[in-house]
Amino acid sequence: MSLKRATKRRLRDGVAYAVLLAVVAIVVVTADRDAISKNFLDGDTWKGLWPDIVLIAAKNTVKYTVIAFAGGIALALVLALMRLSPLRLYRWLATVYIEFFRGLPALVVIIFMALGVPLAFGWTAPGGTIGAGLIALIMVSGAYMAETLRAGIQAVPKGQREAAQSLGMNGFWTMVTVTLPQAVRIVIPPLTNELILLVKDTSLLTFVGMQYDQVELTSFGQQGLVNYSNASPLLAIALVYLVISIPASQLVAFLERRQQRAAR
Amino acid sequence: MLIRLTPRATLAAAVLSALALTASACGSDGGSDTTGSDSPSGAADLNLISDGTLTVCSDVPYPPFENFDKTTDTGFAGFDVDIVNAIAEQLDLQVQIKDSDFNALQSGLALASGQCDMAASAMTITPEREQKLGFSDGYYDSEQSLLVPADSSITSIDDLDGVKVGVQKGTTGEAYTNENASGADVVVFPSDGEMYAAIKAGQVEALLQDLPVNLDHQNDPKAAGEFKVVETYDTGESYGLAMKKDNTSLIDAVNEALATMKDDGDYEKIYDTYFATDQ
Repeated sequence: MSLKRATKRRLRDGVAYAVLLAVVAIVVVTADRDAISKNFLDGDTWKGLWPDIVLIAAKNTVKYTVIAFAGGIALALVLALMRLSPLRLYRWLATVYIEFFRGLPALVVIIFMALGVPLAFGWTAPGGTIGAGLIALIMVSGAYMAETLRAGIQAVPKGQREAAQSLGMNGFWTMVTVTLPQAVRIVIPPLTNELILLVKDTSLLTFVGMQYDQVELTSFGQQGLVNYSNASPLLAIALVYLVISIPASQLVAFLERRQQRAAR
Repeated sequence: MLIRLTPRATLAAAVLSALALTASACGSDGGSDTTGSDSPSGAADLNLISDGTLTVCSDVPYPPFENFDKTTDTGFAGFDVDIVNAIAEQLDLQVQIKDSDFNALQSGLALASGQCDMAASAMTITPEREQKLGFSDGYYDSEQSLLVPADSSITSIDDLDGVKVGVQKGTTGEAYTNENASGADVVVFPSDGEMYAAIKAGQVEALLQDLPVNLDHQNDPKAAGEFKVVETYDTGESYGLAMKKDNTSLIDAVNEALATMKDDGDYEKIYDTYFATDQ
């Protein structure tokens, strides 16, 4: 009676594949191909989106991401070191900052920086609303990455620091030449993850107002929806987002593999 | 400028675009509004989604056209709301108003998906929208206007070269600015809320949008004398109530009610409540 284990497994796999096939079949059959091609693959619309979708929208998405990430990581480094500082005031300040900005939606911080701060202090960030929005993204992503960085620094074995001290290195020098290089290797995968999240968070900048040469992918797609009365721009920007984020996540996977090897 | 209006809209496009734009799915299906009145006496079947009730979608707030107001029966107040109430009264219908997303309204999604019978949301009648929506006769002549800080040197649309001008995404004001304000840096915002904050914060130097909204800012008691409307533009367009294109019986009934209101002075009474000017 009892089936062989291999037979059982084959049966189970067969059922799984059958279910998958059924789902695919349902999707293919129920999809209204005419409607899809009319609404998502409208040739004139796609032509109209080109080349601005790459030269303006994708370029700006990448630019905003890079600025926010670079600024965020610099801020995160300062915050992480403050959190590990022997001085209680520094630790306390960093903790308050991190808890505060991790607890707020990025959108709220962006609107506050772009529209609230100029009202309250009469100070306008360089770059107008977009500049202010980018500062907000830096403030928020810095808070997230600070915790990642701190965990990475703490994951470096204590023996490394002790060895450096026994060689007569001071605390600062030990941190810069011994601890940080090892910590950065540990945190590269989670930080790259944050980078991918930032790619998508740049879409929030649309809420504080954009000129045409400032649009990033999401606002470009939304304007396209209005201008063309057609959903093609949506599919177009979705594809461009994937073109940006899939290589990035592949990079994470690669770095993770490499780090596992190095750690051995 | 990539403002090209190639209307090739179909229902599905509308559905999807609105989905993408996070159409606020006003879930509540007013089940509680059983009306005293039977179906409108003598009138043709109006094909309402809920018998005896005119369900109206509107992107609230957009004062003075629509705003929340707990003291009223519907929970909403404004010019559009009063017009709709008056129409419903003539047709012997109750009114239920749902807050909705403007993109869902102008794309036709809210109507097509059976969320409401009518969109009353300060919506300008345009040829693009007429392809998807059935409009009533115009009930309000829309004028565009330019709002600037009181101490600004800008006096007309010709002064906007190199100036940051705030407009709302997908509106007549945006199209008008792109066509007529040459050299202006057009900054596109999701709604008037961000636009007004932006001009107060000095992030833009002018707002080009519907006159009543700018007038509201000019007369804002909390910012008295800080902003002024320097120019108005007659676009030859008017606001219409949007209904399903194929629901001609409802469109006809609404047009008839509007005509009656204009004849017997009810319309003027409502108009003066909101727009009586001493200009």
